[in-house]
Parts: sequence; structure tokens; C-alpha cells
Amino acid sequence: MTERQVQLRLGIGAIIAAVFLTLVAIPQWISSPSNVQRIVLSPLFWPYALSAFTFLAGLGLVFGGLRMTDSGEPVDAPSDDPRAAWMRLAGMAVIMVLAMFLMPRLGMVLTCMLIFVATAFLVRTRHPKTALICAVIVPLVLYAFFAHVAGVAIPQGNFMRLP
Amino acid sequence: MSFMDSIAAGLSLVGNVESFLALFVGVAIGTIGGAIPGMSATMAVALTLPFTFAMQPITGILLLLGVYKGGIFGGSIPAILIKTPGTPASSATILDGYPMAEKGEAGRALGMALWASCTADVISNLSLILFAGWLASFALSFGPPEFFTLILFSLTIIAGVSGTSLLRGALSALLGLLLATIGLDLVYGTNRFTFGDPNMMGGLNFIAVLIGLFAIPEILAMVWNPTAHVGTARSLGNNRVTFADYRRCFKSIVRGSFIGVFLGSIPGIGAAPSAFLSYSEARRTSKNRENFGKGEVEGVAASEAGNNGVAGATLIPLLALGVPGDVITAIIIGAFMIHGLQPGPMMFILNVDIIYGLFIGLIVSSFFLFIVGTVAIRGFKYVADIPKRILIPAVLVLCIYGVFAVNNNIFDVGVMFAMGWVGYLMVRYQVPAAPFLIAFILGPLLEDNFRQSMLMSGSDPLILFRGPITWFFWFLTVLTVIAIVRAGVRAVRGIPLGGGP
Repeated sequence: MTERQVQLRLGIGAIIAAVFLTLVAIPQWISSPSNVQRIVLSPLFWPYALSAFTFLAGLGLVFGGLRMTDSGEPVDAPSDDPRAAWMRLAGMAVIMVLAMFLMPRLGMVLTCMLIFVATAFLVRTRHPKTALICAVIVPLVLYAFFAHVAGVAIPQGNFMRLP
Repeated sequence: MSFMDSIAAGLSLVGNVESFLALFVGVAIGTIGGAIPGMSATMAVALTLPFTFAMQPITGILLLLGVYKGGIFGGSIPAILIKTPGTPASSATILDGYPMAEKGEAGRALGMALWASCTADVISNLSLILFAGWLASFALSFGPPEFFTLILFSLTIIAGVSGTSLLRGALSALLGLLLATIGLDLVYGTNRFTFGDPNMMGGLNFIAVLIGLFAIPEILAMVWNPTAHVGTARSLGNNRVTFADYRRCFKSIVRGSFIGVFLGSIPGIGAAPSAFLSYSEARRTSKNRENFGKGEVEGVAASEAGNNGVAGATLIPLLALGVPGDVITAIIIGAFMIHGLQPGPMMFILNVDIIYGLFIGLIVSSFFLFIVGTVAIRGFKYVADIPKRILIPAVLVLCIYGVFAVNNNIFDVGVMFAMGWVGYLMVRYQVPAAPFLIAFILGPLLEDNFRQSMLMSGSDPLILFRGPITWFFWFLTVLTVIAIVRAGVRAVRGIPLGGGP
């Protein structure tokens, strides 16, 4: 992505978001009493105003992007192998989704142990044994602090009960 | 209450081992967090926040302030030793710090960085004590229209100076304001974007949003490129900073401190511009200006004084007006809110003991910074050796526990993950995240003050221009927009600021 492409994509994205908010999201997902006497006090006023400003910001970004000369220089974060990098990002997304699914079932401690191991191996750790040891110790230490010092009811799950 | 009574009240609150221990531990955590490349002072403060839930308000806030102070200094250690700033504020320190390290004078550069940081910290804290109370007493006369214009001005300047362009900053702030509309309406209590989910009715959790925006993108950036942040640390060398060095740089340190105080007290500017301005002023006026950029100790002193001068001053708008000046103070305002405290002018009346307790703690923090900093300089190689690919999963697990602990709600963990991807996209598309977060915090306040103004005036918008204070903030807002747009146009055309083509 070049600087110009970034600017144009942001602008177009902002315009689409503003249009979506104005035509679909605000009318559908914001409820307003029918007896609001003054429009500026309506629950709808502020979101509509923000959508309008977002639209204007989007127009400004598109206009600025069109005026910009394309240097051809990419602005993306460097990576040795972009395909593998995208795969790792997708893997991280899967880990996060699974974490949300597993947390109520396995409990926070076990889930975090699995997340630790999965993430450490996803980023290709050079210390696999240390990673495994830390994967057990870190969630347990945090459990001890939050459950016994801070008094937080950490979810225990269906398979393991910690004191 | 007299000044002495206020100090006595503050002292009675913080005059215990627990408070000073929290402050010391905070400075140590901040210094280590700031010194680890790939972490930052912001991330360190955000990750420490959940640990303060179980503490007394003053203890928890002192811990976070310690992390903040330590983090800003800690960033200078990798800047000098491995040419990687631990925090963006330390970028200016590289200019002379790393050349000094290459010449075998890393120990001298780090020593000067520490002395300059501590001096600037003291000056900044004294400025806070001097100006915050005065500003708060002035702000007591503010009504909703004045607060509306003040917040609008703050958001404008934050949006304008946080990133590379005003429009991207404005887009970020607008998205933050839109996100803040989620929940029940402030006046009518009707649903706004709640999708019938009770978890959404109170709005999105602030801690989940901030940890998502500032910690998770670092993890995703590591996943994108696991071998980033790898660098080789230079040795400290045999040269150490001397009192003669300090005396020679003293003028630049004091000037840099006041630049930091001035820029820090304006919401949104932050430590990095202050460090660069302080550095360029020192270079302009120094007898050794030809050595700047080649390893001049005065350059290190000026940039460190500039960035540390900001640390106390950013608390001026936070404590006096309730407006966070940067991301770290936005996190600290979260700590206040979690403990049922609302920073602003009324706090100087209702919680004067906490205010003066914080002032005392901040003064002591400069002393702690000196002790911890001296040890940290020698121990950096151990910090640099922490495997990042073990640290990052640990940070992820810590984020999950911390966010869950706010409300005992797994939904908040989901919000954090979602905001993490939003934050990562913002990084990739070079949209600054600071306006987003600060707008998210100030959004309900902005809307509330706007609607209250409209209720007061029977929907007459002229109330937003009702007196000299509102006119003053409108004037500043317009001036800011003009200055930023002018600077942007000049940058595009390649014209230097303040000069012709």
C-alpha cells in the first residue's frame, strides 16, 4: 500500500461508514421517543451529527488522496514473508475466537495456558521449554493474585477446580 | 482549608509504607516496561491498571503515576544502547545518545539522561502543584457551554497533532465519539446500538477498549513480524557523567523542562514534540552546536529534559479540568473513575487530601526515579535479554485477566479482542489511536454538556458563545485548525515552517 492508497481507502471507508450509519444503523438500532420536542435533544441527533462529520472527513481524505502524487513507496510494516505473516495473523484471530468459546467451558486458567502455548508457537519461539513452563506458571500466578488478593471470581470451567 | 492544612491532609493519606512502596514499585515497573523495546510506557501503565482495582484509590493511582514516570525515563535506555526508543518520547534521545554509545560513552549518556530526567521531573511536578490549583479554581466558574467548548478544543488539538494529518486524527476522534454513543441514551434512556444485549447497555468498558487499542496491536504486530525488536545492546563504557557535565548542560535542562511543562499542559501535544523542540532549542543556542548529532551530551540532556518535563504537566489539565492530555493520562483518568473519583475542579474541594497526597507522591517519585534509574542503567542487559516471543504471550494472558477483572465479564474480553483488531488496522493505516481513545472517554461528557447547554437555553445555539471563556476556546479551536491545516499544506508543498519557499 502506498501513502496515496492508504489515504483513498481511508476516505472511501469513512464515506461508506457514514452512509451506512445514516441510512441503516441509526434508523434501525437507535430508538427515540416520539414526543421529543426539540431535535437537538433527540437521542438521534448526536449520532447523525457525528455521521455527517465522518462523511465530511471521508470526503476530505479522498480529495487529499486524489491531489497526492503517488511516490510508489510502500508504507506497510515490513515482513520477510508476507504470505506467512498473513497466515500467522489469521491464526491469531482463530486463537482469539477459540479463547472466547473455551473460556466459559474450560475456565480462564486452562484457556490461558492454551492461549500462551499457541501464541508462543505461532510467533516461532526459540525457547519452547521456557514457553511451556511459563504457560503453566503465568496463568496460575495471575489466578492466585486476582482470585485471592483482588477478590475476582475467575471462571473455573467444567473440568478443573482451583482453590 | 489553608495550604498547610491541605498538605497535612495529603500527608496523612500517603504517609504510610504502602503508598511509598506502591510508588517505588511503580517506578521500577515503568522503568523496566519502558526499557523493553516493543513495550512502551503506555502499555506498562495499561497493564498495571488492573492490579490497582484491589488497592486504596491513592495507592493505586500512585502506582500508576510511578509507572508513568519510570516508563518515560526507561524509554531512553534502549534509545541510547540499541538505537530503539522504548517510548516515542525517547526518539530525540537517539540523535546524540546512540553516537555517544558508539564512542564508548553510553554510561555517560545514560547518566546524563537520568540526571536531566530527574531535574525536569522535579520542575514539572512543582509546576503542577503551582498551576493545577489555580486552574481548578478558575474552572469552578465553568458551566456546560464552557466545558463543551473546552472539550471541543481539546479534541481538535489532540486530533490535529497526534498523527500525520488533521483529517486522519479527526476521523479517529469521530470514530471514538461514535463508539461512545453505544449504550443507553443519557437523557431519554433509550437504546443506542445495544442490539438488545444487556452487556452493551452501559456502553463499552473503557478498560477493555484501551487495553485493546494499545496492548493487543503490539501483540498482533509481533505476530506479523516475530523477529522485529531484535537489537544488540552497546556496553556502558568506562566514562561516567560528572557534575561538570551536569553544570554545563544545566541551562538546556531547565529550558527543556519548561518547554515540557508548557507543551505538556496543553492537551494532546505529548512528550515527543516537546523533546524535539527542546533538542532543537539547545542545538540553536549551544556553544557546541556543531557536535549535535555526533554524540553531544547536551543533546541527550535537552531531549530527556523535554520529554520528562511533560510528565507532571500533563496532569494539570487532568486534575484541574478533568481533561486527559495524552493517552497515559487517559488511562490514569480510568483509574480515578474505577475508584469512584472524577478529576476536575470539584476534586480540589471534595478530595483535597487525595490531590495533595498525589502532589507529595509525585515529588517523592523524582527521588525514587533517581534510585531506580541508577540500577536500571546497569541492569539493562538482563531486561534486553528477555525473549520477546515469551513476553508477548504473557502480555496477552495478562490482558485477558486484567480486562476480565474489571466487571467479572467475559464479554469485555471479547470487546478487547475486537478493539485490538481495530487498533491494529489503525496502526497499519497510520490513523492515530490517541484521538480515538480520548474521544471515547470525553464523548459522553461532550454530548452531555452540549445537551445540558441546549436544555438551559431552550435549544438556542448562541449559548455556546455566551461569554469570554467560550469565545476564548472557540478562538483557540479555530486557531488550532488554521495552524494545523497551514502546517499540513506547507508540508505537502515542501515549504519549511516559518519561512518562504
